[in-house]
Amino acid sequence: MDKNTQTEIFFGPNHPGVPGNYGINYEFEGDTVTSARANAGHLHRGFEKLMEERIWIKNTALVPRICVEEPDINEMVYAMGFEAIGEIEVPRRADYIRSIILELARIQGHIFSIGGNAAGIGQYTVMHWGTLTRDYLLDIFEEITGARVYHIYIRPGGVRQDIEDETLDKILDLMDELENERFPDLQKALFENPNAQKRWQGKAVITKEEAIEMGATGPVLRANGVPHDLRKMMPYAAYDDVEFEVPTGENGDAWDRIKIARDDMLQSIKIIRQLINKIPDGPVQADLGNGLKYKIPKGDAYVKIESKRGEYGYYMVSDGSLKPYRVHVRGASTPLGLYGVREFLPGTRIADVPVWAKSLGICPPEFDR
Amino acid sequence: MRNEKDLLQLMNAHFEPLKLEIKRKQNVSVEFKKEELIQALSFLKSHSYRHLSTISCVDWPEEGEFELVYHLFSYDDLINISLKTRIKRDPGIFQTAKEIWPVAEFYERDIHDFFGVKFKGNDNLEELILENWQEIPPMRKDFDTRKFVNDKYEWRDYNGQKHTD
Amino acid sequence: MNNNFVKGSWQEILDWAQNKSINMLHYCTGCGAIELPPTMTSRYDMSRFGIGPAATPRQADLLLVTGYLSTKTLRRLIYTYEQMQAPKFVVGFGSCTINGGMYWDSYNTIKQLDKYLPVEMYIAGCMPRPEAILDGLLKLKKMIADGEADGYQRYQDNLEYYHQNQEAVLGEVQRTQ
Repeated sequence: MDKNTQTEIFFGPNHPGVPGNYGINYEFEGDTVTSARANAGHLHRGFEKLMEERIWIKNTALVPRICVEEPDINEMVYAMGFEAIGEIEVPRRADYIRSIILELARIQGHIFSIGGNAAGIGQYTVMHWGTLTRDYLLDIFEEITGARVYHIYIRPGGVRQDIEDETLDKILDLMDELENERFPDLQKALFENPNAQKRWQGKAVITKEEAIEMGATGPVLRANGVPHDLRKMMPYAAYDDVEFEVPTGENGDAWDRIKIARDDMLQSIKIIRQLINKIPDGPVQADLGNGLKYKIPKGDAYVKIESKRGEYGYYMVSDGSLKPYRVHVRGASTPLGLYGVREFLPGTRIADVPVWAKSLGICPPEFDR
Repeated sequence: MRNEKDLLQLMNAHFEPLKLEIKRKQNVSVEFKKEELIQALSFLKSHSYRHLSTISCVDWPEEGEFELVYHLFSYDDLINISLKTRIKRDPGIFQTAKEIWPVAEFYERDIHDFFGVKFKGNDNLEELILENWQEIPPMRKDFDTRKFVNDKYEWRDYNGQKHTD
Repeated sequence: MNNNFVKGSWQEILDWAQNKSINMLHYCTGCGAIELPPTMTSRYDMSRFGIGPAATPRQADLLLVTGYLSTKTLRRLIYTYEQMQAPKFVVGFGSCTINGGMYWDSYNTIKQLDKYLPVEMYIAGCMPRPEAILDGLLKLKKMIADGEADGYQRYQDNLEYYHQNQEAVLGEVQRTQ
């Protein structure tokens, strides 16, 4: 290969096209990427070490910060790990509330990432609409939990406080508005837009075999027609009480993934309606005693749930003391962000690199930790 | 489709696990001797456990050991299995699983960054997450983050005086 | 007419002009960046105050440090800052830039941003709401108009102090000049 036609470029961390504070160093020839390497670690804060330094309850404030796109997922996995080791039963109402919160968070995350994806191909209107729609959901979160982004709401043994009936009605109203007004607009502006279609179709293809081999889950796997979803395969919270479908695609490309995000939101709306109709009365927090003295027996557990980008897992070890002995975070996009960049980015054209990175839902803080 | 008990029987039939445990529904954990672990991984991979979630490392300084935990999942059995093994803390060397799952290379490099464990066959020891790290690997239990922070950084002075003056 | 007077009035005109149009660098250093899209887009709409995003450091006036800085990011942030052209302003965003915030005992994040770069002002909160960001940026505009935002001059005057602090944490730092 001629030395003069090959150039190395640092894409990120300071670049509007990268998903967060994360870099990709790639070489290209003409305008095709020939080799790529992830430049991760810009967001490393040493969460796993900090968690070992803090008592169990204090960590509930720390975990949502691991992935800013989907903070509630982290709270939920952490609480589930604690409950699995301590064999704690969660009240049924708390399970329902958790599921409602997780589904609201899923819609919030999807709509935001659809906006981000659209911005990646220059559809800024959709980005504006997506961000605005997300704000309606954040308002609901604020009403329930008191905070916009980091809620610290799901905690070991249940949830922090009950949801009022009026809030539940508001959620139902918002779901109607999303379904009848926001999503049709989005459909016209983005999904029926031939420009967008052309930009995404056939881009960033990851086949079923490749996805399973590297451990990618969620939309990346489902875009190949495989309906794998941990909400169905290993039901947690109240997902065994609701009916929903797992949207899938056919071609494993960016276009299918973005359509899955849209269909996933519609399913979430369906789930939220069922949950609110069926929600039982009762306490929302199991009695675990003084929060500052939470203790669980010796043991370990690997817990995982379905985030909007796939499997999110924590491996937690307790030595019976006031603090966790070890917490290891497995973010949903870890294999894609580190390994996938090297294996699957080569061959992409330079203009499609942001499309590639954004449509795979790479969220750097979860593998930098 | 196997259930949890079938899986443990399968493990018992082919290997000599040190400890078998059904943690809870759909969750199994098996402890192996370190010589058998890589074999067990490739055996399980050919028995539908194709999804490697991650590799965790736990430091047990009192026993002088690192514990490596491989989390696998099968889309046919819908069971999560955690394979554990212990290696000596010093020198902290184990076999790579890169040949079985290429993605393991990055999990191993992550463990090398944070615990200093080396994996034979995985020669790329470039820093993955950290940059210019000079101390002992930070996730080891004997690394004291509070002492390190006290030594390296200055705390803000809140007595009404700006320290840049 | 003496020279100082001319220089003084000219500076006032510049300050007035500068505070009307601020280009903010698009560098998401930490999790606070998630509150910027709402601030930039239709709901809070910061472009009505004449503030908008800029893609590259060389076109930007404002470096908004959105959250904690790991040492690896700090290095890139310093490169970025040194690429920017004066007048340039740094705003620390979130508690973690002020005193470490909830990462106070993290081995990999810095604790006080103003030891490494000249900070004009901080917006506290974890993370600050869009209203707080807008309020902060309006105050920054006022500071620029009044000629109080002189961070880039402080950086030049105390170059040694800043470089010393940077090198104490990062080891060797490449300099552009």
